[in-house]
Amino acid sequence: MEISLLINQQPHTLEVSPHETLLSALRRLGYFGAKFGCDTGECGVCAVLVDGKPLNSCRLLAAQAEGHVIETIESLGQHPQQGWKQTEGLHPIQQAFIESGAIQCGYCTPAQILAAYHLLEHNPNPTEAEVRDALSGVLCRCTGYLKPVEAVLRAAAMLRGEAVPPLAFGDRELLSLPLAPQSPADEEGGGQPPFNEARTQTKILPKVILSPNVPEHQRIGKPEKKVDAVKLAQGKPAFAADFEMRGLLYAKVLRSPYAHARIKRIDTSRARALPGVAAVLTWQDIPRVVYSTAGQSDPIPGPLDTFSLDNKVRFVGDRVAFVAAETPEIAEQALKLIEVEYEPLPAILDPAQALDPQAPRIHDEPEYVNFAESDPTRNLAAHIHIDIGDVEKGFAEADYIFEGDYEVPKVQQAHLEPHVALSYWDEDDRLVIRTSTQVPFHARRILAPVLGLPIKRIRVIKPRIGGGFGGKQEILIEDVAAHLTIATGRPVLYEMTREEEFIAARSRHPMRIHLKTGVKKDGTITANAMRVLSDTGAYGCHALTVTGNTGHKSMALYVGDGEYRKSPNIQFHADIVYTNHPPAGAFRGYGVPQGFWPVERHMEKIARALHLDPLEFRLKNALRAGELHPFSTAWSEGREPRPEVIQTCGLEECVRQGKAAIGWDQKFGNPAWHEVPGKPHLRRGIGVALVMQGTAIPYLDMGGASIKMNDDGSFNLLIGATDLGTGSDTVLAQMAAEVLGVELEDVIVYSSDTDFTPFDKGAYASSTTYISGAAVVKAAQQVAERIRLRAARMLNKAANGSGEVTPEMLTLREGRVFAPDGRSVTLAEVAHNALHHEDQEQIMGVASFYSPVSPPPFAAQFAEVTVDIETGQVTVDKLVMAVDSGVIVNPITASGQIEGGMTQALGYAVCEEMRYDEQGRARERDLRHYHIFQAHEMPELETIFVETFEPSHPFGVKAVAEIPMDGVAPAVGNAVLDACGVNIDDNPITPEKVWRALQAQRQEQGV
Amino acid sequence: MIVEYHRPQTLAEALELLQRPQPPTRPLGGGTAFDFKGDQPVAVVDVQSLGLDAIERQGNLLQVGATVTLQTLLEFPELPLALGDAICHQATYNLRHQATVGGSLVSANGRSPFGVVMLALDAQLTLMPGERTLSYGDFLALRDEFLAGHLITRIQFNPQVELAYQAVARTPADLPIVCAALARWQSGRIRLALGGWGKTPTLVLDGQGHEGLRLAAESAFSAAADEWASAEYRSKIAGVLAKRCWEQIAAKAKEG
Repeated sequence: MEISLLINQQPHTLEVSPHETLLSALRRLGYFGAKFGCDTGECGVCAVLVDGKPLNSCRLLAAQAEGHVIETIESLGQHPQQGWKQTEGLHPIQQAFIESGAIQCGYCTPAQILAAYHLLEHNPNPTEAEVRDALSGVLCRCTGYLKPVEAVLRAAAMLRGEAVPPLAFGDRELLSLPLAPQSPADEEGGGQPPFNEARTQTKILPKVILSPNVPEHQRIGKPEKKVDAVKLAQGKPAFAADFEMRGLLYAKVLRSPYAHARIKRIDTSRARALPGVAAVLTWQDIPRVVYSTAGQSDPIPGPLDTFSLDNKVRFVGDRVAFVAAETPEIAEQALKLIEVEYEPLPAILDPAQALDPQAPRIHDEPEYVNFAESDPTRNLAAHIHIDIGDVEKGFAEADYIFEGDYEVPKVQQAHLEPHVALSYWDEDDRLVIRTSTQVPFHARRILAPVLGLPIKRIRVIKPRIGGGFGGKQEILIEDVAAHLTIATGRPVLYEMTREEEFIAARSRHPMRIHLKTGVKKDGTITANAMRVLSDTGAYGCHALTVTGNTGHKSMALYVGDGEYRKSPNIQFHADIVYTNHPPAGAFRGYGVPQGFWPVERHMEKIARALHLDPLEFRLKNALRAGELHPFSTAWSEGREPRPEVIQTCGLEECVRQGKAAIGWDQKFGNPAWHEVPGKPHLRRGIGVALVMQGTAIPYLDMGGASIKMNDDGSFNLLIGATDLGTGSDTVLAQMAAEVLGVELEDVIVYSSDTDFTPFDKGAYASSTTYISGAAVVKAAQQVAERIRLRAARMLNKAANGSGEVTPEMLTLREGRVFAPDGRSVTLAEVAHNALHHEDQEQIMGVASFYSPVSPPPFAAQFAEVTVDIETGQVTVDKLVMAVDSGVIVNPITASGQIEGGMTQALGYAVCEEMRYDEQGRARERDLRHYHIFQAHEMPELETIFVETFEPSHPFGVKAVAEIPMDGVAPAVGNAVLDACGVNIDDNPITPEKVWRALQAQRQEQGV
Repeated sequence: MIVEYHRPQTLAEALELLQRPQPPTRPLGGGTAFDFKGDQPVAVVDVQSLGLDAIERQGNLLQVGATVTLQTLLEFPELPLALGDAICHQATYNLRHQATVGGSLVSANGRSPFGVVMLALDAQLTLMPGERTLSYGDFLALRDEFLAGHLITRIQFNPQVELAYQAVARTPADLPIVCAALARWQSGRIRLALGGWGKTPTLVLDGQGHEGLRLAAESAFSAAADEWASAEYRSKIAGVLAKRCWEQIAAKAKEG
């Protein structure tokens, strides 16, 4: 049917089918600012303004929107200077989002901005609660909503004509401004509170406790705006699916209804015959090449146990066939026409049964390639056995032994942009894959044998990504699009639906953990042993390395005290087994959240049993600077380990700062605080967890950078490093700008294209700032050296004999090269001289970096909760994280990582889990039932950075990306224990679990 | 799969379309709960142009047109606070501007806070053809039959009842595991509805006294088990929430 849509004051006439959504019509017309995130209207990233109201366009038929005024993000603002044309620039809301660090991956940004626009049109002076309500319909997995909310409040003030203080500052003292007083009146309506200038400044910027070892920098440590923020605030077509190609086909995948079955017969003839279908592929149509989907360096530290398509299916949702068709609807129809005869096999849905000799064998394919101790005959994907010291001796020396069983669930990354890949042959007959990936170089290498192409004929491009969190550290779907491009010769787009994400993507590894700890009366830990049963699901991607990390990080924190410190007794044994659940993979934290849930819950119980202060007990036994990382001689991701000494550890200061921020001393042990006046059914509790992570993988993770100088004194920085929305492009540019003495806008970043940028292993292991950053610094230093050489020549030539300078005497700053006496030349002059005038060269530098150490960040995570002891409902009221991540390059992007990570970890604490029925079918298939936190239900979040200077990096940095995932769940669990005396040992901490524990407690007490 | 889209300008046109035996034809309100991708072919009648979006007080009743959005209802002056809470629990900002009162009531399942509260309020629906009025509870009991060939044009309820809404969920905004809504009229009549389980909200009682409210709630949810919670838990919590709803109303009565 023909309809007419009025979009941004432009009328459009188009043919639509009755079921076509407004989202689909908008994107077809080139309005890519409206995004796909789910089909059920839960996530809101598809929102556009219809008659001024933010409506989810995936839940509106295109036909419904006829006759209404539609406005998309594209109508809101634009770049102020476009050559000789000046424009009105960006809308204040867009500006505020950019300045406030409210944009991380940017996938939800247009929808948030439009919702804010609607709010401020009707309510120019909203309270924070009203802003949160306005943003409640747009899910964000990156930011924790703190900075978007503050951005809207800032924009509101700007629109009211009020003065708003700039966030950029050069004065170090300003960084440690105390927070504005947090009285309830500040937060809620109750009359309109006056706009609190200090509050929106200090809420956006974290508190940073500066290290005295850190010199003053020009760019490092500054809250620079992200280099991609302007693009993302405008909703520019920057993501993988925002790409139009003539002849584009759409891919769909037929998925198994059985948890375990052989494909006896598969007939695609009716599907192939459907008009509009270009190709249908089954296991019979493509070469049988075994590989692993894990995005890791060579050799893959895990078994090769996966095929693009197989004649066996191993989980409900496993691939059966691929279809490429002219439209997604035709492709869906074709799936239904594929006839499959399955022979169902008995399935393993309980990891405890996997190792049973009678258990069905999930991997019996002859092509299986083992790694380390994998053994598919026993359904064993990996096995880890680490013994440090002598735990039996340690247990014998203990006064008390504490044992406990814990369990952590399967949870999902739930990035708002699904997995999406576009593949096509370019004019050189090279296969180009534009994909939402964290690992472009690994993807290229791993796909080559699968596709029957040499690496040199494949190009992988990572555009902007709408979140990854480890879910895209996987070669998950590129092969689907690529095989279909090979079959048809045409470009193919494959975008997973939200349901496919839940049933067929990746997740965190669920684990069952047994802890045994020996302690002396005075709290000295004499031995600590962890046994893990980890369920890796149907395929073994990341099986060994995730679980190895569980031991390597969470069991490394507590080494004991006194003589035990010098030679700790630690044991870590793990079996990682195959089951017929969807495969687990990489998820931010990578095994460490799974380890700290049991460890920090266990430590709490021990402290209470021994009547010791929980923080003193922990610090008494925790790792300190100058000590050997206990696992560094025992384990390194399947490679040869080498000893590492901890150079920096700000844990004690983190504890001190966090305690002060949350008011620990006024609350912990204070019975009056635990009661809520007038509400006898409520109890408050406060809890803590101490955690550590790692920074990259030593002797393995490597990143490269190349920099070239342009005529105007700007630079192109080419890096393989993969910005998922984290801001790594910005942080790396800051490092280059620091060395080169320029403004951030003079460094133009291009990243993650296997043809144009140097290798980088990709965005995982919290490595980018540290590893890729060090490569950038090295390359920038080379460039600076060439500049100084030339500038010295130029200055000497101009001075004509008097005041000779040598290159070593010159400094780069403010876009110039300065001699000690103040003479200078501009970088533009140096560049012109180099490119055009004399002794011509392209000034450039190329460098790479890997590290012999992985300096851990440390943190203290605090949580305050309120428990309803009649219903078991737990409300998390406040989260405070004090973290030592070395020197902070950009306090806005770094605190954004902490805020978003704590929010993601909050789901792990109270509401996220993936469960399966007795047929292996997923209970959670959409964002209604898999709940991720929304803007209007957030606890208060606070971030404190305790800086140390890590000597193994030129700017003293450590990692920040994953550590916020580690402590929230156990801190909340400990707070619940503090509130009402019950121990929940398996997360999430749901109301019924708490209620049952309270019932049991009452029975025990005879109440 | 939607195979036809119609946007009639008059009620008569709409009813004519809805009463066709083939293809199955359904009214389309906001669209937020409509299954666009179902396997069965269905035709939709978009009711946005039928002028069903008026909201006004008539005597002691609030008359709400079926296509009034949840947001418009939320913003109506002097709405009971608990109804506002339930609307906000039902839908977040964007969805509230799109979802209609009629559509939300028609598509309500057990975990719909708005449906639970409207059941407690004994909302009355007006259906065409025939301008027939029936209670929301009766509508829910025979929902599938009433859907075919009918159109809800208006919903009415008394906004001046005492109303309380309580819920337990994993997070403040998550779907309720158990929720309760209690309405009390000046005459002393009370109605208790429960949600969090099942295909529809559950009416627990409609009567005069509040004694036995807790037991009635526990009894109504004594088999309320599903993959999200046990019946034992739901039953006990239903009792707790019913008691709290009553205490809230009683406390307000004391103040007032």
